[in-house]
Amino acid sequence: EDINSGQTQTFTAMLGLSIKEVSAALRDGRMSATQLCRTCLDRIQETRCLNAYITVTEDLAMRQALEADGRLSMGKPLGPLDGIPFSVKDNFCTKSIETTCGSRMLRGYRPPFHATVVQKLLDQGAVLLGKTNLDEFAMGAGSTDSVFGPVRNPWSYATPYCTYHSEGKDPESDWVITGGSSGGSAASVASLSSFLSLGSDTGGSTRNPGSLCGVVALKPTYGLLSRHGLIPLVNSMDVPGILTRNVQDAATVLGVLQGQDEKDSTTVSVPDSPASLPEDLDIRDVCVGIPKEYHAPGLSADTLAQWDRVAGMFEQAGARVMEVSLPHTQHSIVCYHVLCCSEVASNMARFDGLQYGHRSEVDSSTEALYATTRHEGFNDVVRRRVLSGNYFLLKQSHERYFVKAQQVRRLIAEDFWRVFRAGVDVLLTPTTLGDAARYADFIQEDNRTRSAQEDVFTQPVNMAGLPAVTVPTALSSRGLPIGLQLIGQTLQDRKLLTVAQWMEQRLDFPIICFHDDTQGQDGQTGSRERMQFRIIKDNTKSHAVIK
Amino acid sequence: MAASSSGNRILLHKLNELITFKRICNITQHDIFIRRIRTSRSKCQLQPKMHTKSPPQMVGVVGLEIHAQIHAASKLFSSSGVRFSAPPNSLVACFDASLPGTLPVLNRRCVEASVMTGLALNCTINRKSLFDRKHYFYADMPAGYQITQQRLPIAVNGSLTYSYLGGRKRNQVVTKNVRIKQIQLEQDSGKSLHDDHRNQTLIDLNRAGVGLMEVVMEADMECGEEAAAAVRELQLILQTLGTCYGNMAEGQLRVDANVSVHRPGEPLGVRTEVKNINSARYVAKAIDYEIQRQMEVLDTGGTILNETRAFDSKSGATVPMRDKEGLQDYRFMPEPNLPPLFVYESVASVPAGVDPTQVVVIDRLKAILPELPGVKRAQLVEEYGLLPEHSFTLVNEVGLMDYFERVIQKTKAEPRKVIGWVIKELLGNLNQNGLRLTQSPISSEALAELLNILESGHISTSAAKVVFQEMWKLPEKSVKQLVAELDLELISDQEQILQICRRVVDAHPEEVRVIRAGNKKVLNKLMGIVQKETKGRTDPLQVRRILEEMTS
Amino acid sequence: MVWTGVAGTRLHIAAARPVHHRSMLLKPAAHGACIRYAVPPWRRWMSKRDSSKSSFVSKVPQFPTWEPVAENQLPPRTKISPDLVDKLERLALVDFGNQEGVNCLEEAIRFADQLHVVNTDGVEPMDSVLENRALQLRNDEVKESDCVSELLQLAADRVEEYFVSPPGNIPLPKREERLAMLKHSAF
Repeated sequence: EDINSGQTQTFTAMLGLSIKEVSAALRDGRMSATQLCRTCLDRIQETRCLNAYITVTEDLAMRQALEADGRLSMGKPLGPLDGIPFSVKDNFCTKSIETTCGSRMLRGYRPPFHATVVQKLLDQGAVLLGKTNLDEFAMGAGSTDSVFGPVRNPWSYATPYCTYHSEGKDPESDWVITGGSSGGSAASVASLSSFLSLGSDTGGSTRNPGSLCGVVALKPTYGLLSRHGLIPLVNSMDVPGILTRNVQDAATVLGVLQGQDEKDSTTVSVPDSPASLPEDLDIRDVCVGIPKEYHAPGLSADTLAQWDRVAGMFEQAGARVMEVSLPHTQHSIVCYHVLCCSEVASNMARFDGLQYGHRSEVDSSTEALYATTRHEGFNDVVRRRVLSGNYFLLKQSHERYFVKAQQVRRLIAEDFWRVFRAGVDVLLTPTTLGDAARYADFIQEDNRTRSAQEDVFTQPVNMAGLPAVTVPTALSSRGLPIGLQLIGQTLQDRKLLTVAQWMEQRLDFPIICFHDDTQGQDGQTGSRERMQFRIIKDNTKSHAVIK
Repeated sequence: MAASSSGNRILLHKLNELITFKRICNITQHDIFIRRIRTSRSKCQLQPKMHTKSPPQMVGVVGLEIHAQIHAASKLFSSSGVRFSAPPNSLVACFDASLPGTLPVLNRRCVEASVMTGLALNCTINRKSLFDRKHYFYADMPAGYQITQQRLPIAVNGSLTYSYLGGRKRNQVVTKNVRIKQIQLEQDSGKSLHDDHRNQTLIDLNRAGVGLMEVVMEADMECGEEAAAAVRELQLILQTLGTCYGNMAEGQLRVDANVSVHRPGEPLGVRTEVKNINSARYVAKAIDYEIQRQMEVLDTGGTILNETRAFDSKSGATVPMRDKEGLQDYRFMPEPNLPPLFVYESVASVPAGVDPTQVVVIDRLKAILPELPGVKRAQLVEEYGLLPEHSFTLVNEVGLMDYFERVIQKTKAEPRKVIGWVIKELLGNLNQNGLRLTQSPISSEALAELLNILESGHISTSAAKVVFQEMWKLPEKSVKQLVAELDLELISDQEQILQICRRVVDAHPEEVRVIRAGNKKVLNKLMGIVQKETKGRTDPLQVRRILEEMTS
Repeated sequence: MVWTGVAGTRLHIAAARPVHHRSMLLKPAAHGACIRYAVPPWRRWMSKRDSSKSSFVSKVPQFPTWEPVAENQLPPRTKISPDLVDKLERLALVDFGNQEGVNCLEEAIRFADQLHVVNTDGVEPMDSVLENRALQLRNDEVKESDCVSELLQLAADRVEEYFVSPPGNIPLPKREERLAMLKHSAF
C-alpha cells in the first residue's frame, strides 16, 4: 500500500512534466504509457468539478496506451508524442465518438471520420483522453454558454486565489471562468489532466483561455493546420489551436500537425522543420514592436505592469524595442463582429435535422421542421448571431455592413503587414484585458458584449491570418494568471515560438500541481516552485460521460 | 411588294407620311404591307390579333438559363462517383451530406470542361474566378446554400451561332446569333421524391454536388423555335466536346426560359421565368405558349407578374409556381473555403513552384478542342458539295453524319444522290415510325449496296424505292435477294422495250397527236404508262428517248 | 458595448470585473512545499512594478489610446420593423424568441454602425487572407463511395435508403402561429 501510494505520488508528479520530459520517461521505462494514462484519467475524475470534459474516452485511451507500450517496450516509438495523453475540444470531429460542440443540436452525433489534426496525433501514438467543454459552437469568450454547463478555472482552487478570497467568501460562488471558447481544453492542460489539448481559435478562442488559465496557447498561421473535421465558426479565420504547458511542447505539436491536407483547400505546404526550437537565439537580432493602440480602455493595472515588465526585459537584454502603430485596431472588434455573424449565419444553415443531429417532432412542412429543430437545437447566443448575420447579408445591408467590414478587414491586415515590412519581427501585446473574472460577474453582461470586450487583443490577428502565442507571465494581484501575447509574421511560426521560448525561460511562471505532490524525482521537474492546489469536495453532478 | 428589308424600311417611312393625310384607306394598305413584310421574314412570328390604328406588333423576348451536367467521374467538390441511376444515397460523400467539418475540394476536370465549353462558345475565359454561397432552404440541398459563381464566373461574353430550317418549305437554313452572357460552375442539388400517400418527401442525394455549367443566354431570341434551335446547337457542341452528354430526359441538360413581350423600340416588358422544361420538344412549346399568354394578358389590359411558372407538359400550358420573388434574398457571401480559381494562358505563364500538370492551361485545352458542329457542316458542304440545309440536317441528327459517310465510303454513287436517300428515304421513314437512327432496320452497308445496284443500272430509281421499303420490312434479306424476288431488274432487252413503247404509242393516238402538235408535257403520261406496264423496270431516260423518237 | 460620448465625454465599457485592492494576509504554506521565503511563494510571481530597475523609458503606452466614437458620428439608429422580423425569421428559419431578441439585433446593428467612421475609399474588400493563393485542384477520381449505411444511421428519421422530410414548398405559418408552435416544442 505504501509502495503503491509512493508510486502513485511519483506518477502524479509526472503530470507536471513537459511533453519532452514525460516522453523521455516513457522511453526510459520509468513509467509506462498505461500508467500515465491511468494517472491522467484519475486526475480527470478528481477535477471533474471543473467540468472541463464533456466525454471521457476511458476504454479507448487505455487501449491506445497499451498499444503505445507495445511500441515503447520494443524501443520503437512513433515519435515524440507516442503514449502522450491529449484532449480535444468538442468541436473537432472524432470518429464514432460523440462530438457535440456543446450544443443540443449535435448531442449524440458521432461523426464517421476523424478531423485531420486528430488523426495526425493518433498516428503519432498519442492517447485520446476525451472531448473538452466549450461555449456552444465556439461562440463566446467565457466557456460559460455550453449546454453542459460552464467550465471552471482550476486556478479558482489554487492557494493564491483562495487566499485572496479568504474572508469567508464561499469558493463555490467565487470561482472564476476559464475564458473561452476553448475553456475545457485550457482547463484540462492547466489542471494537469492532459499534456496537450487541441482548441480552436477564431477570434482568440484558444489564446484567451490559455492566458486566463496560465498555459501556453498557440494560434498558428491561417492555413498551416488543416481544418478538415473542425466544425467551423468562421471559415476564413478559424485555426486549430495548440495548448500546452510550455513553448517547446507547442513547437513539437506544431511540427506534427502542420502541412497541406488534400481535404482542405485552404492549407499550405511548408518544409519540414526540426522538432526542437533553436536555443541559441541572440535576442539582440530581434526587433519587438509595441503597438500603442493595444492599450485599450479597461486594461487592468496588473496586465499593464506585466506588459511593461516584459518589454523592459527584452530591451534590457539588447533587443530593439520600439513603439509602432496599428491605427485601425480600435475598429477591429466591430469588423470581426460583422464578419463573424455573417459566416455563422451561413455555416449554421446546414443544421436542419434531416441528415444528422437533433430533429424536432414537427412534421407539417419542411420549413416548420427546420424552424423548430433550429429553435430547439441552438441556444440564444447562436440564434442571435445567425439572425444578425442574416441581417448583414441581406441585399439591403450587404454593401453597408458586410462589404464595409471586408474593407476594414483589409485595412487591419495591412496595418500588420506594414509594421512587419518595416523590420519588426514580433509584436508584444496583452492577451486579455485582465485576469479571469468571477463567473457571477461575467454573466452580468450578455455574450456579445463579453466577446467584444474579451477578444479585443486577439481577433485582429485572426483577421490578418497571422500566428500568435500567449505565454503565461505572472499572477495578478488576485492570484490569477496573466499572459502576454506575441504576434508573428505569416508562416514564421517557428521564429515566433523561438522568441516566445526566450521570454518564457526568463519569466519563471509557476506550474500548478496537485496537493500531494512532492518535489518530484531527481530534480527532473526543475526548480519551479510548487503551488498548492486544493480540490473542493463537491456534490455537483458530473456532466462528463465516462466511457 | 417590297422584298428587301432596307426596301421595307423606306417603304414604311413613305407610308407613315401618307397615313397622316389619307387615314382610313391608307391605314388598311399599311396593315397589308406590314403583314406581307412580316411573313417574308422569319416564319416564327406568331399571328397576333390585328388592330387598326395599332403601333408595331408585340414580339417575344426570350433568354435562356441552361444547366448542363458536367460529364466527369466524380462530383464538383467531393470525390464520390457520378452515375445516372444508382441505388439511393449510394453516391454520397460526407461533404455532399453537409456533415459539419467537411470542406469543398475542386475537381480539375470540371474546370477544364467549363473552359472548353467557354472556348467553344467564343467566350473570354476569366483568368481568375471566384466562388460564392447562395443561401436558401430546400430539402434536397443539405448545406442550406449552393456553391456557385455569382461575382466572377469562369467565362463571359461569348456567342452561339445557331440555325434552323425555316422558310415556307422548311428547307432554308436560317442562321442566328445569341450572346452568351456567362458560364458559371455550380453544384447540382439532390432529388426530392414526393410521396403524397404518406405525406412526406424522400430525399436522394446522389445528384447533390454533381458539377453543373450554367450557360446564360441573353434575351436575343424571339420565339420558341429560335430557343429550341439554340438549345439544340448547344447540346451538339457539348456532346462534341464531351463535356456534357446533354440527355434532357436524364436531366443532364435543363432549360429555364426568361420570357417577356414588348413592342420593338419600347422598353422590355416584365419577364417571367419558365421552368420544368424537361425535353427538347417542350422548349419551343413552353416558350411559345408563354409568349402567347403574355400577349393575350396585355391585349386585354392586364399586367404581367414577375413570377416563376412551371410548364405542364400534359396541358401544354405554363402555370404559376409559388411566388417567392418578394421574399427571396439569397444573401450571397464569398465561399471562404475556396481561394480564387486561377487558369493560365500557357505553360509558360504558370508560376514557378506550381506543377503545370495540376493546373488548367488554356492553350493545352485549345489544342485538343475537337471539330465543332458549325465547322463540320461547312466541311460537309465543301467536301461533298451538299446543300447547306442537308449538311445542317446531317449534323443535327445524332449519328446521321457518320452513317452518311459510311455509305459514301462503300458506294460509287455521288454524294448528292446519297444525301437524298439518307435524308428523304431513311430519315423520313425513321421519323414517320418514331425510330432513332440506332434502331434503323437498314444499315449503312445495306443502303450502300442498294445504291450500287442502282448506280450500275440494274434497277431504276422507282424500283429502288420499292426495294427500300421491302428492305425496311425485311432487314434480314439481302438487297440482291430482294431485287431478284421482286423481279425488279431493269429490262435490258432493247427489243422488248421498243415493242412495249410501240404498243403504248399505238394505243394512244390522241396523246400522240397532242404531242406532235407541240405539247411535250403529255409525253410524261405515256412514260408513266410504260413504267406501269413494265413495273418500273425500265430506265426512264431511255424510255423518254424512244417515245420522243416515236412521236416526233 | 457602444462607444458613445455625450458632448465629448468618454464612456468606458462597463467594468467587467471588480478590482480588489485589498492586501492579503499571509498564510503559511500547507504542506509539501519546501519554501522558506518571507513572503508566500506565489507572491513572487505577482505583478509588480519595479521602476527602480528601469533605466529607459518604457515603450508601452501608459494610458488608453482609443478614441471614443461619438453618437453623432454614427448613422441613425436602425429600427427593425415587424415585417423585417418576419422576413428574417423566414429566411434564416431561426426565431427571435421575444422582443429581447429583436432588441439584441438592434444593438448588434448599432455596434456594427461604428464601422462607418472608418474611411474605406478605394479599399478592396478582403474575402480571405488567401486571396493571392491559387486554388488547389484535385484529380477526377472516385475516392469516397458507398458510405450509405454510415450516413443513413446518422439521420434521426429515414425511410429505407432515403432521407425523409415532411412535404416542402409550404410557407411557414404567420408569426403568431409560429410562436405558438415553438412554445409547444420540447425545449
